[in-house]
Amino acid sequence: MTNPSDPSGKARREFLRRLGGVAVACTGAAACSVAPQSGGPVAGPDPSPVKDYDWTKHHWAFGVDATKCIGCLRCVEACKTENDVPGDAHHFNTWIERYVYLEGETKARIDSHHDPVNIAASGSEKEFRFANRYQDAKVEKAFFVPKLCNQCTHPACVQVCPTGATYKSKDGVVLIDDKYCIGCQYCVQACPYGARYFNPTKGVTQKCYWCYHRITKGLRPACVEACPVGARIFGDRNDKQSPISLFIRNNRVQVLRPESGNEPNVFYVGIDKEVS
Amino acid sequence: MEPVGFWGHLVEIAPYTGYVYPNETAIPWTVLIVVYPYLTGLVAGAFTVSSLYHVFGMERFKPVGQFALLTALAFMLFVPLPLLLHLGHAERAFNTMLTPHWTSAMAMFGMFASFYLLLLMLEIWFMFRPYAVRKAQQTSGFIGRLWHLASLGSDDLSAKAMRYDEKWIFALAVVGIPSAHGLHGYVGFIFGSLKSREWWSSDLMPVVFLFSAIISGVALLIVLYVLSCRLRKIPVDLACLKGLAYVLWGFAMFTLALEGLEFANIMYKGREGIEMIVQYVTGPLLVPFFILQFSLGAVIPITLLTYMIWRGTTGKALIAGVTVSALLVLFQVWMMRWNVVIGGQEIAKTGKGLLTYQMVLFHKEGLLTAIAVAIAPLFVLLAMVRVLPPWSAGAHAHQRSVS
Amino acid sequence: MPRHISRLLLLFVGAGILALVARWYFTADTFYQFGHFRGKAVGEIAAKEPAYQTARYCEDCHTERHAQWSANNHKSVNCEVCHGAAKGHPENGKLPIPADTRKLCTLCHERMAERPRPQPQIDPAQHSPGQQCIVCHNPHAPKLAGVVAKVAGDAAAGAKTHAARCADCHGAAGVSPNDSWPNLAGQHGAYLVGILAAYKSGAQTDAMMSPIAQGLSDAEIQNLATYYAGLRCEAKPRKSRLGDPAAGKALAKNCAACHGDAGIGGNPAWPNIAGQAPEYLVNSLKAFRAGLRKDPMMAGVVRGLSDTDIANLAAFYSAQNCAPAAKVKETP
Repeated sequence: MTNPSDPSGKARREFLRRLGGVAVACTGAAACSVAPQSGGPVAGPDPSPVKDYDWTKHHWAFGVDATKCIGCLRCVEACKTENDVPGDAHHFNTWIERYVYLEGETKARIDSHHDPVNIAASGSEKEFRFANRYQDAKVEKAFFVPKLCNQCTHPACVQVCPTGATYKSKDGVVLIDDKYCIGCQYCVQACPYGARYFNPTKGVTQKCYWCYHRITKGLRPACVEACPVGARIFGDRNDKQSPISLFIRNNRVQVLRPESGNEPNVFYVGIDKEVS
Repeated sequence: MEPVGFWGHLVEIAPYTGYVYPNETAIPWTVLIVVYPYLTGLVAGAFTVSSLYHVFGMERFKPVGQFALLTALAFMLFVPLPLLLHLGHAERAFNTMLTPHWTSAMAMFGMFASFYLLLLMLEIWFMFRPYAVRKAQQTSGFIGRLWHLASLGSDDLSAKAMRYDEKWIFALAVVGIPSAHGLHGYVGFIFGSLKSREWWSSDLMPVVFLFSAIISGVALLIVLYVLSCRLRKIPVDLACLKGLAYVLWGFAMFTLALEGLEFANIMYKGREGIEMIVQYVTGPLLVPFFILQFSLGAVIPITLLTYMIWRGTTGKALIAGVTVSALLVLFQVWMMRWNVVIGGQEIAKTGKGLLTYQMVLFHKEGLLTAIAVAIAPLFVLLAMVRVLPPWSAGAHAHQRSVS
Repeated sequence: MPRHISRLLLLFVGAGILALVARWYFTADTFYQFGHFRGKAVGEIAAKEPAYQTARYCEDCHTERHAQWSANNHKSVNCEVCHGAAKGHPENGKLPIPADTRKLCTLCHERMAERPRPQPQIDPAQHSPGQQCIVCHNPHAPKLAGVVAKVAGDAAAGAKTHAARCADCHGAAGVSPNDSWPNLAGQHGAYLVGILAAYKSGAQTDAMMSPIAQGLSDAEIQNLATYYAGLRCEAKPRKSRLGDPAAGKALAKNCAACHGDAGIGGNPAWPNIAGQAPEYLVNSLKAFRAGLRKDPMMAGVVRGLSDTDIANLAAFYSAQNCAPAAKVKETP
């Protein structure tokens, strides 16, 4: 049991202050019902928890144009660096999938950079590269699909979190409080997209959060910044001329697994029936 | 990029076939999460037997009535342990109680479990209050003071007080039935409510969990009761044993039907990803499901029990047969938990690949820990029956007249 | 009510109150401020320092590089994609791109059926195998000067201009009598159009060539280029005293992608150098190395060459036949 916001020095005084509050509540009201939901007095109204940024004024969204993706994996590299993602082949905030239909085959062959063949091509689990494994095959149709957290409108992961360590921000991003997460991994199970993973070193769950530390400073997410071909689109839906608003307006977009009821906020163009 | 830490190297990475999401290659829930519903199930099942005696007044279960309650408590005490061992930050576990997130099945479980544990302890306290009072009067010194404290400083064993107690016990036992079963149904809900996994996402899951819980608890009591008679060198009460065998037999058949229904549902509906499920069921699941859980764990004990009940077997043959059946049922339910918890995670969320969970021996979440956690309640129970002998005539409910 | 019951109830009430107070005390300060989470956590997450600083961060110091990059084909590839995250730079040291540029560049440019068609792609087995990419390509302006100029002039008119203005230095038959000047006979027309246009515009300067080129019209340049391209090179392979042709041959492997195995290249944008005077070749390479002749690709190539290397290369190329019997196959 920890009180993450309380450095131990202040804890005692704070406790006495709160205890006084209880006493007042008990003498003042007939029923001594403490309402812990108030969470103690909060100093003044605070419209936004982030400095110099009003989270009620934004509505972030993400677009993926799979017809542009070249599978260079610079986004994965950038993301791993930007967000302290464990440097191995089992933990990714974002990843790229490759779908290849060979002549005479009806099912796509799917792989990602965590496949041993691709790790062999890159040289290590800390580098990312798609092996040119189909260069001698007769490829009928093939493409890459970037994946990341969908920051769903009805996130299954938030629904199942027992503590409130993961939540939906007012500007549309699902965040994780890594000082509050108990590491039960229920959210990892609940996400139908495989976007979440458990960080065994930190003992908490992690996932893509659209580089919340960047977008609240006016920067784009690291993967968008790194994409050399503009396959990743990011912006504010409240701004009708933002790249994402234009992307959604000018394309027939779709989302992954709409039947899950999660209402994802990553909009795709150019994916195929096998992509889910 | 963050360096891969100590646990990161140790946690087993699951080999896979087909396509699985990169993050899926580390299996989130390990063998400890198999132990957890197993223990919860034993609690619910043991409590069922005690209810048969205390609420439904089935006198033949008198020899195990109170022992069942102690068994439930001993196992209930250990239910949180596998969860705590599994958590990335066990020291923050109380966050689920401080700020329980009401939409989370897991937060609700914390509340349910605490409530039920309290209820169980209360019922046992009332049950053994006369014993504690007598002990407080007979014993002197520190131990005596402890007994005094345990009886809350009151030695009131008057007829009026006993009537009060009986009302409480009955009320607690009545509330306990939905609590114990609700608790375990809830464990099923933790799995069944997840839409991300076809193998889990089933409305029948809570019911299946519940009924398998009941049979596991009854089976455990059979084994422990027979064992305790051996240890105490007294003959097994055959009426009681046969009663337990009837309960086991009936519920086992019902469980089998439910599991069959659930399985049929998944296969018949054949939704997205069914090809992988078929591949899984006919491949890696063949031995653990069809042979171990279904044949060895369900069909054989049911056949054996049917035969014995049909032939009216009695005496040593009955004891041996029922005990063997009970052991097999205990094994069946373990395999069922395994096949649900581990099986669900071995079928990739992509619907296009299969993983293989690699259990390690020495690890915070390894096999040895799991075995230790599963066996520890037995030792606690051993100590418990020393302090609170559930067979002695001094205990409360023995005097209770049941109609 | 019996005593033990009342005491039990009292115990319950006490425990309940204790639990509520404990819960109230231990609940994190800003929990419930914005919803069912710790409000402070949002600010903590947002406070993290970005690692990728964007191209604007680089622009202030690397103005010239930034200008070149932003005007060329790699402008969609931000600095940090190849150089790595800029957080901590320059304090923590330089940010060079990986040494193995062949590995780096093929991340995007290796030919794969999975890649969209518009992406420029090469077959690493065919495209200068073993060669580092930056030898020929400037990553900040990756497209080779290989904008192949159209050559469609009048050879007869070109011959007249040649006789009037060029023959003194470059020889009546386009083979220079002086070791300091290049032979022009049989040179690629597109290269000549390009280099003359550069002298004319001032993009390339030379004390002698600049005024002459400035006096030429675009049509005259076309005519000259057509004339020289059609002229058969009669220069004899020569032996150089300056360097070792065998050592030069080994070095010339690095040049073969553009200039051919023996100094006759397939791409008309680049000059043939077989049979040129060794002194001229040495001077040219040194001029590239000193930055006097400007070409991003050649600048990269000569950066690592010593004087001896240059002499050896010159010795090798000057010993080659400038008009081989078998016509070099032109790549499409």
